[in-house]
Amino acid sequence: MAVIDPHINIDDYEPEGDLVVLNLGPQHPSTHGVLRVKLWLDGEVCIKAVPYLGYLHRGVEKLCEKLTYVMVTPIIDKNDYLAPITNEWAINNSFEQLLGVTPPPRSQYLRTICAEIQRVASHLLWLGTFGLDMGGALGGGATLFMHTFRERETVLDLFEALTGARFHYNTLCVGGNRHDIPAGWDVLVRQTLGVIASRIDEYESMVHENAIFLARTVGVGVVDPVLARALGVSGPNLRASGVDWDLRRDAPYGAYGDVQIKVPVRTEGDCFARYLVRVEEMRESIRIALQLLDGVPEGPICALKPVKLPGAVKIKPGIGYASIETPRGELGSWVIADGTERPYRCKIRPPSLHTVALLPYLAPGNNLSDIVVVLGSLDPVLGEVDR
Amino acid sequence: MAMNEDKERFEHPVYSVLEQVPGGGVGLTTVDRLLTWGVTNALWLFPMATSCCGIEFMATACSRFDLDRIGTIARGSPRQCDVMVVAGTITVKMAPRVKRLWDEMPEPKWVIAMGSCAISGDFYRDIYSVVPGVDTFLPVDVYVPGCPPNPEQLLMGLHRLKEKIERRRRGEWVERDPAPVAAGLRVPFPRIGDPDREPDMDAEQLAAAMAIGKHNG
Amino acid sequence: MAEDVPLIPREDVESYARARLAEGYDYFVYCAAAHYPASDTGVDRVLVEYRVRRLPKDMLAFRVEVPTGETTPSLVGVWAGADWQEREQYDLVGVVFAGHPDLRRIMLPEDWEGHPLRRDYAIETRHPPWR
Repeated sequence: MAVIDPHINIDDYEPEGDLVVLNLGPQHPSTHGVLRVKLWLDGEVCIKAVPYLGYLHRGVEKLCEKLTYVMVTPIIDKNDYLAPITNEWAINNSFEQLLGVTPPPRSQYLRTICAEIQRVASHLLWLGTFGLDMGGALGGGATLFMHTFRERETVLDLFEALTGARFHYNTLCVGGNRHDIPAGWDVLVRQTLGVIASRIDEYESMVHENAIFLARTVGVGVVDPVLARALGVSGPNLRASGVDWDLRRDAPYGAYGDVQIKVPVRTEGDCFARYLVRVEEMRESIRIALQLLDGVPEGPICALKPVKLPGAVKIKPGIGYASIETPRGELGSWVIADGTERPYRCKIRPPSLHTVALLPYLAPGNNLSDIVVVLGSLDPVLGEVDR
Repeated sequence: MAMNEDKERFEHPVYSVLEQVPGGGVGLTTVDRLLTWGVTNALWLFPMATSCCGIEFMATACSRFDLDRIGTIARGSPRQCDVMVVAGTITVKMAPRVKRLWDEMPEPKWVIAMGSCAISGDFYRDIYSVVPGVDTFLPVDVYVPGCPPNPEQLLMGLHRLKEKIERRRRGEWVERDPAPVAAGLRVPFPRIGDPDREPDMDAEQLAAAMAIGKHNG
Repeated sequence: MAEDVPLIPREDVESYARARLAEGYDYFVYCAAAHYPASDTGVDRVLVEYRVRRLPKDMLAFRVEVPTGETTPSLVGVWAGADWQEREQYDLVGVVFAGHPDLRRIMLPEDWEGHPLRRDYAIETRHPPWR
């Protein structure tokens, strides 16, 4: 009875029970933002799913055309609000590439450490909300959520110590960083990451052997690697389907060339594999951050002179694309410069948009309750889907 | 009997019973105080969380800040809630849905505009698709500024809302929070409570909110 | 570091894309478009860029120029990922992809007028009754 054809014409389908049209979202706690999915259900089983986007379309790309290169960074922070620092890095990477400037090594190290700590925070939040999506499977649902947020707060404290802000840091600029490492920060980072590393084992003991968790994730929402590549899915979702590809290792940027990176890959492609990959990535991120922290070079943190005027950076005409690996996958920006202090066109390539595009393929054939789990396991951030 | 500034009666069934009992007026004050205590200490929140502020709202509800200890619970259904916390940017596509959800909430109800996007649209306020502040279509009670506000600030905002409810129920006149001046707002847009706001606008917004579901937009 | 991006004539795009797919470029990265008004170069046109990858290391981009009022063939049949990306570029930049199975607006409401990322679209355009 399960029909797995995403493009099925619903008029041609003859339901066995009652055909129900259900709107999931845009205001629903388990759509992870303002995603709206229109579902056609035959009884409890989904026949067709059509996502509707754009409920958070803030016109960031239009805004970038009106702002100077220096002013773009704090705006771009808000795109992927679970990992702001990677947004800043991606856009400044494009600007630096067009400008022909390489940030000094100290800045590269600092960016890389921050991005890895941010990856831990982002995956922690994902794990907590994934636990919420499971509902009662984990002892009331909120247990894991409360645990992971406890650790996420300690990570935010690290950023507060570094940049003064908990959330939207505005710490990178064209050519380097704005905030240098304060005294004693490295001790704080080591301490915090040490605690989190031990807590990850604790989560695993909560989740890994839980029979209900396994029943709801193993074999659910299997992503086909060929389809995933054609759709442009990246990051942990792609690696859980057996595609061994990570920009940090395959096209090193920042300080990733100086460290050994072990990329966790699973071949199953289901929700449980995505969970395993993310948990393993957290461990790996902690290892990378600690490894880099030992060898932060001395020197300046910005290649350009400190910017006093918003129009101080001008880029000669050219078109460029640069991308980095964020907690959700390949985040890139396609920038057209026209010789002035403002970008002519600035397109963000968000990983989550391609991830959500998987949903029409994954939802049919699943129960309604499993669709929530599948969506949760994909970890989309609607801020960067809609921009 | 307490009235809010819109001159709507805020009445509990207990009042009408007590008014019929001889000498019940004496007990009325005590009952009123008890009810006020109950209302202010059991504010159920409806998180209208759209973006970054929603994450800070979650952080506030979680272990370190623990929103529950001041008697609030976040609920997913508007029909069970007293306070709508608008956390995040509201776009033109989302606004009719927010209005609709607000209309679905039972009286008495309050709104907290959390974060600068909800207050004035922040730096997105000039953008074609962003509503320049939710007070253009919702009667905002408390503004919590920040981008996003720290959890402490949201807690502070909830305490201010409590104070406001208490004073209103005592019958005191509570001045409206001044709508933050959006400097450089190039499209002046009348907010709720502005003298130059035309009633047609409310009707249009209501009609737009009621029209969702008729098409797929 | 300027990369060499070929400009493909519109009628050859589909065969060019299929040849690249046959070479193993099966990972779709993005489709992006930028509007150049007539005042800039004489012709009112849209530049469309596609980018694909052959995992893990190779990356390739190609461009198409579409004068305003004309169409370019859709590449949904070649890479499934082009579906939503082309819809987005249609919605925001207003470039029409011929043969796209479902070319609707994706980000903005369906009754929206105009394409915001065109250079002649005012950023503060009003949309009553909400702004």
